[in-house]
Amino acid sequence: MTDATLKDTKAFSSDVDSVSRKENASRLGSSVRRRISLPAIPVSVALAISWIVAMLVIAAFAEKIAPYGFTQLDLRNRLSAPGNAAHWLGTDELGRDVLSRLLVSIRISLLIAFGATAISAMVGTTLGFLAAHFRGLVEQLVLMLSDFQASMPFLIMALAVLAFFGNSLPLLIGLMGLFGWERYARIARGLAISANAQGYAVAVRQLGATPSRIYLRHILPNIASTLIVSTTLVFPEVILTESGLSFLGLGVQPPMTSLGNMVGYGREYLTRAPWIMLAPATTIVVTTLAVSVIGDWLRDRLDPTLQ
Amino acid sequence: MGRYFAIRIGRAALTIVLVVTFAFVVLRLSGDPALMILGPEAPPEVLAAFRKAWGLDDPIWFQYLDYFGAIARGELGRSMRDGRPAIELVLERIPATLALTLPAFVFKVALGIPAGIYAALHRGSGIDRAVMMTAVAGFTVPSFVLALVLVLVFAVQLGWLPSGGQDSWRHAILPIATLSLGGAAVLARFTRSAMLEVLGQPYIRTASAKGVPWRKVVTSHALPNAAIPTVTILGFMVGTLMAGAVVVESVFAWPGVGRLLVVAVANRDLAVVQCILLLVAMTMVTSNLVVDFLYGFLDPRLRSKGAHA
Amino acid sequence: MSAPLVEVSAISRTYSMRSGMFGRATAVHAVDAVSLTIARGQTLGLVGESGSGKSTTGRIVLGLEPSDSGEVRFGGKPMAAPGTAVWRAQRARMQMIFQDPLGALDRRLPVATQIREPLDIHGLGTPAMREERVRELLRAVELTPAHGARYPGALSGGQRQRIVLARALATKPDFLVCDEPVSALDVSIQAQVVNLLVDLQAQLSLTLLFISHDLRVVRQISNVVAVMYLGRIVEIGSADDLFARPEHPYTEALVSASPAPGRRSAGRIVLSGDPPNPAARPQGCAFHPRCPRAIARCASEVPTLAAISGDRRVACHLVTGTPARDAA
Repeated sequence: MTDATLKDTKAFSSDVDSVSRKENASRLGSSVRRRISLPAIPVSVALAISWIVAMLVIAAFAEKIAPYGFTQLDLRNRLSAPGNAAHWLGTDELGRDVLSRLLVSIRISLLIAFGATAISAMVGTTLGFLAAHFRGLVEQLVLMLSDFQASMPFLIMALAVLAFFGNSLPLLIGLMGLFGWERYARIARGLAISANAQGYAVAVRQLGATPSRIYLRHILPNIASTLIVSTTLVFPEVILTESGLSFLGLGVQPPMTSLGNMVGYGREYLTRAPWIMLAPATTIVVTTLAVSVIGDWLRDRLDPTLQ
Repeated sequence: MGRYFAIRIGRAALTIVLVVTFAFVVLRLSGDPALMILGPEAPPEVLAAFRKAWGLDDPIWFQYLDYFGAIARGELGRSMRDGRPAIELVLERIPATLALTLPAFVFKVALGIPAGIYAALHRGSGIDRAVMMTAVAGFTVPSFVLALVLVLVFAVQLGWLPSGGQDSWRHAILPIATLSLGGAAVLARFTRSAMLEVLGQPYIRTASAKGVPWRKVVTSHALPNAAIPTVTILGFMVGTLMAGAVVVESVFAWPGVGRLLVVAVANRDLAVVQCILLLVAMTMVTSNLVVDFLYGFLDPRLRSKGAHA
Repeated sequence: MSAPLVEVSAISRTYSMRSGMFGRATAVHAVDAVSLTIARGQTLGLVGESGSGKSTTGRIVLGLEPSDSGEVRFGGKPMAAPGTAVWRAQRARMQMIFQDPLGALDRRLPVATQIREPLDIHGLGTPAMREERVRELLRAVELTPAHGARYPGALSGGQRQRIVLARALATKPDFLVCDEPVSALDVSIQAQVVNLLVDLQAQLSLTLLFISHDLRVVRQISNVVAVMYLGRIVEIGSADDLFARPEHPYTEALVSASPAPGRRSAGRIVLSGDPPNPAARPQGCAFHPRCPRAIARCASEVPTLAAISGDRRVACHLVTGTPARDAA
């Protein structure tokens, strides 16, 4: 499923345009193709970027923007519908303001997602480089581990770890940090091997550069765009997985709140107060969608075959 | 070709070993199993006796091998909640899970693959865009949100279908629908991109330039080549027959393996968790092996030269 | 000054190749018992077809690959094992010029930065001095600082190769191995780059190992020429002499195929048979299936490199050995 998304999968609206443009470009030859970059940002991507920026701002300033504390109870106003002046998005079963909780949840969910993605990218890339550099036993070990990771459904393994280790935010971030590392490792290894086999890596090596210089100053910048595209694919999946875990009550624990958490609580009151669930659910969907749209667009721009 | 299979079987066995090791390591790292299983209030003599009985005083390598032996014998411990052997608990839930995942799989394939193929063949058309939009939705909407939305619409607002439990066949409709829609969207997207990649190959253009009717080009050239990567993802989906319904079962309170896992994790019922982990691993590994075998037959490149994979 | 800078004694390199999943492993003798010396300030041209092992020889001489046997000595001292700190330090004294200049440069960095890189790596001089040196090098290869600010993709093939050359000369090395440096360039540019190399060699007293399949270029730049076939040196001697009077049948064929001004084309010798395949080396003299003058002895005995006159050495039974009773 992961390999599928790495292939030709474009966002719906820019699909036809980018594909036909690509066909034209390939006919004109590779050097011309490099000069043809998308002239303007498509509307969908612009919307996606603004949404993500909004989310980031919210994440940074959640506490300052929120009208109420996210654990603040207002027992007289329980389960009030959205649209009233005091509580724009309504209140939940304990009278807590949904909007405030939503803002804080966004921060927690994004925090976990960023942390996990960063860990995953660094671990994966490092392992990929180690495998490419040392070959032999180290490479086999890394390949084995990444096959293992790719073949087991992450949710199951995450649940197992949570069962055994219990629950805390650092653990959760660390655990989610293991999500998707194998994709980075595979990419880093493949590209490093081909860079090492010929070309600038060999040239710089025989200038007398140390391996770390070769990898950090030369190979890494050259494969950065492919890695970035992978990140935009992994990031939404991390959000979805963490939400799933929190929804099941096994991820972020109260009193902390995350988007998945809120959906989990909202489920109890689905009949009476669906807004408790709808607000965070919509946020999850739109955020994931926005990152995917940006990722597809980035992949069009930083077309890996140009490397 | 024999070597190809030998390597694959070797890898499969290795994955199982890794899963067992994973379970073992995590179990040991997370604390004293005696304390975990007996609880912190247990008196020290009981703890010591437990440790002795389970060989927890032995060197770690010994315990590791012993662990393997135990698993091979099927002794996977007892559930802490009701004392029954974990393996029994798990096995008796399998039919319930399969009752959801098997029909869902059929629907996924029946909906997703034709949609993807059609979209690829009519690229840029209205249907293509519709397929792509739903596919994106399938990718970005998590299963629990989809499930709850379906419940909201069909059970709460319209009142057509029940929202939980396992009492009648009606109860299965929403869970199966949730699983199918999500999976069909992913499959459609994937099939479409596999087909597009194949259709873009020079040999397709050559075939149609030679005057071969388009229908034949598609059925004899495009589809078989696109089938190869599709088989991989189908294999993955088959592999998740056991594990793929964790969230859905929880939402619909469906008593299957997934729900058991969630409850076991919440209660830290380690024996059950371990058992399910192994079950899932076996399913994945088996289906991957089957896919590998199929590959060996489907992809003639593998047949003649052995594997480059 | 007369002690050779580079001494190569009986190096060999064998790769093991497996043909497909079930083929048996075949040994590919890329380089077989090759010995060379290169005097300071001189150029040794190494000639051969693809598959002759000349590139591998170049890499072994530079220390980029280990030799399975034999030894390479540089300045009297043995070459360090690749990848070690000593080896890295030695790089400042010897460098390689590659066939594909675009491949040898990092596309993402301006070329001036890349020329500077060896100085950064070996920590030579202050940053200001390094910048000055980069300018100096650009001048030496007949480029301007404006060129230096560009990315490799924005330069022509000839210009890129000059950049690679400038980078190679940054640390003032004594020895350069040029592996087909002009083969990827247009013919007119080839002449320019080769002339530049000749000039720089004179100015900087460089020692060169020039590897190529193109005799015209080799002729222009080399003092001594060695001809390789399937991993072995079949003839070696001073350049002018070797081209004027080739002794080995293979050299004769090569020379006849490459026109030279002032020499009557005496009729091309066309070789028959399959092109050389290093994985399937013929018994005895590796050239004998294609040799127009092969005798029975050639199929069974490997000829050794023996001196015939002056500095010329040839590995051919017909030239060095007494042919046995059998007639051709």
